[in-house]
Amino acid sequence: MIAVDGLTKLYGDFAAVTDLSFTVHPGEVLGLVGPNGAGKTTTLRCLAGIIPATRGKVMIDGIDIAEDPLAAKQVVSFFSDEPRLFDYLTVRQHLEFTARLYQVADAKERGQTLLEELDMGDKTELLATELSRGMKQKVALACGFLHQPRVMFFDEPLTGLDPLAIRRTKELIVRQAKDSGVAIIISSHLLHLLEEVCTHFLIVKRGSKVAHGTLAEIRGAHEGADLEEIFVRLAGEDAGK
Amino acid sequence: MSALGYLITRSLANSITHRLKRLRQPKYLLGAVLAGAYFYFYFYKFLFIGLGPAQPFNMPPQQQEVWINLAAAALLVLTVLLGWILPSSRAALTFTEAEIAFLFPAPIRRTTLIVFKILRSQLGFLFISVLFTLISGRWRMGSDVWMRTAGWWVILNTLSLHRIGASFALSRLYERGLSDWKRRVVFVVVLAGLGYAVWNAWNSLPGQPVAVGGKPADSLLTIGQFLQTGAIPWMLAPFKMVVAPSFAREGMGFLTALGPALGILAVHFLWVVRADGSFEDAAIETARRRSVLIAAARKGEVRLTSRKGKARTAVFRLRATGFKATAFFWKSLIRIGGRQTIVRWAMFFLALGGGVFWLIQHRGQESSTTFTTLAISIGAACYIAFLLSFVMVGQQAAGQLRQGMAGMDLLKTYPLPGWQFALGELLGPIVLGTLIQWMALATGTALVVGLIVPKSHAIGEVVPLIVTGLALFLPLFNLGTSILPSAAALALPGWFKPSEAGAGSSGGGGMEVMGLRLLMGILQILIIAVACLPVAFFGAAAWFGAGMFPLDPTWRIVATAGTAAFVLAMEAACGIAWLGWLFDRFDLSGE
Repeated sequence: MIAVDGLTKLYGDFAAVTDLSFTVHPGEVLGLVGPNGAGKTTTLRCLAGIIPATRGKVMIDGIDIAEDPLAAKQVVSFFSDEPRLFDYLTVRQHLEFTARLYQVADAKERGQTLLEELDMGDKTELLATELSRGMKQKVALACGFLHQPRVMFFDEPLTGLDPLAIRRTKELIVRQAKDSGVAIIISSHLLHLLEEVCTHFLIVKRGSKVAHGTLAEIRGAHEGADLEEIFVRLAGEDAGK
Repeated sequence: MSALGYLITRSLANSITHRLKRLRQPKYLLGAVLAGAYFYFYFYKFLFIGLGPAQPFNMPPQQQEVWINLAAAALLVLTVLLGWILPSSRAALTFTEAEIAFLFPAPIRRTTLIVFKILRSQLGFLFISVLFTLISGRWRMGSDVWMRTAGWWVILNTLSLHRIGASFALSRLYERGLSDWKRRVVFVVVLAGLGYAVWNAWNSLPGQPVAVGGKPADSLLTIGQFLQTGAIPWMLAPFKMVVAPSFAREGMGFLTALGPALGILAVHFLWVVRADGSFEDAAIETARRRSVLIAAARKGEVRLTSRKGKARTAVFRLRATGFKATAFFWKSLIRIGGRQTIVRWAMFFLALGGGVFWLIQHRGQESSTTFTTLAISIGAACYIAFLLSFVMVGQQAAGQLRQGMAGMDLLKTYPLPGWQFALGELLGPIVLGTLIQWMALATGTALVVGLIVPKSHAIGEVVPLIVTGLALFLPLFNLGTSILPSAAALALPGWFKPSEAGAGSSGGGGMEVMGLRLLMGILQILIIAVACLPVAFFGAAAWFGAGMFPLDPTWRIVATAGTAAFVLAMEAACGIAWLGWLFDRFDLSGE
């Protein structure tokens, strides 16, 4: 479970995120939506413990990430928009490295299964530099899933993937939430993807929450408009004027 | 052309403005001040004042002619080498990715693009000409400086245009089926034939042996005489025209020499422009390779080639559970080359060790001069390599940790404390570096003890002990020397970010960045010296303390080395803990 209470992140005088509070229960997928510069990536980075929050509390699976970051990180996976791999490690070596960091005893079997699922089973001996962007994304996904995290953060997860990989990734995300009870937050501009995958939505603008709830709840509050229309109304330039 | 002119002038103006604006940041201002001081104290004071008043260029005409001939011969060799032998069959014109994106699809003639590139390179040539004039000390000649700079400018431009023209010709040859290696073989054979002919001509000169063994002036005259025999003057004639302005004695002489030099330059220009060679494919490929290197440099990596590497075998098998820092140690060993690198070094030292063993076995049987020279050369090379590595291993390890920091957002998601990351990242290069140091030390010492020191001499017993103490001390010393530069990178990451200039972009560099590098170098040496003080203090205390007891020298050395190693270990442990603290507190939002 992810519990966020009064999260605020300041860069000097500039508030990237202001007083954000919400909860994502196990099995829920929250779509984090907002225009460019709304503070989505900053929010995800604070939640994953990559950067410290200026104020507020973030609980990951019952652990305060500021109090015990190592225990919290043990159950988290963060997928950035740009897959970051080590150029000099092969796909298999990436999994071995990740396994040791997260102490995954059955990593060999799990890793191979994950790679097969992502159509990467025959590419285990390739270096990261030999992979296309989409393949790198798949390796990052395999590494992220390896330790069976309880919480996952995705920042634009489908960028650079082919249509088949997009479908597989969506299925993987939904399965992680439904079958394994993982709490997931996805930040993306692809509203149709979020509609397919997410159970809840959080719309932010200039670092603040402007809407939060299930799609039905949000639509109910906006005369049944579709998500794109709601997004334009709430997050567009003219919103609030 | 007006758009291209706009691009050149605006890029230059923006680059200067950008550099001036960033002087508002204290680090760049400090860098600029330091670099300015360096130029003032080294180049200006040392070259212009320190070496005394300017001297007139009053070489005897005969001697001057010899120097012109020698410069022409050097230019000939350079032209053939850089234009026809070394390059691969690719156009020598390079464009940035932005230039390719904007200019290649634009309605611009190919000739205009070539002229654009030639014009764009002029500022760089002017800078290099000034630098060459400065380094060759010609500024001390007063008002003649402009002639010398112009002379260098003509030489550099002619050489550059020749390279471009040659690259077009080579591309055409390649398209017609002459591979790079076949062409290189042809040119090397031709060059070797010419060299042989020249050697024969030299040997046939009357009085040559006397001249070579005599005074330098005599030798010069003999060389001058030689360069005027047979077909050599004809061969050197165009090259003499190019270098002649650099040797002019006064204004009129310079202008007279400049005419033919500019003529040659104009011929080259026409050759390049009319060649109308296809350079687009090669330029796109070159830009791609350069962008790979730039991207690597921005990530903090130093790469010499853009070629994709091969997968490396891990040095040991990483189990899925256990001490987490081992994962970073395992990864850092792969990064520095994996098992292949270790095997390569082991083979090298095995071969060297075999040679040393053979030398020791055969001492006294070989010609003494050759034998001693060989032994001293190998021993000296080992010790020099060892001395050079003394600071380099720590620096290399710190560099690796800095490179690892490029993916800091990923590292920050890992569930391990910062000190384990730091320890693991630093250990890889330190282990490899220490192994190499040990092997170099062992080889050098085997030669010293086995060959150079007489068998009966007491020093033959002490040297191995000292070396063993030093060897034990090395891993901790290497770790110690890596900590402070690593800490500086974690505490002041902005100072260590690769600049755009460093990455080869048009964005920056300049004096301020050079000054920053100078400052970093000085600071690192100072810091290492400070870190060695407690070690030296406690080591000396142990040495003198042990001297108060009736101990064997061996035990005295052991006590000293042990104390020094213990102090170093304490320093290293504190250092690693400090690095971990810095890593954990490292705030990415500040970057």
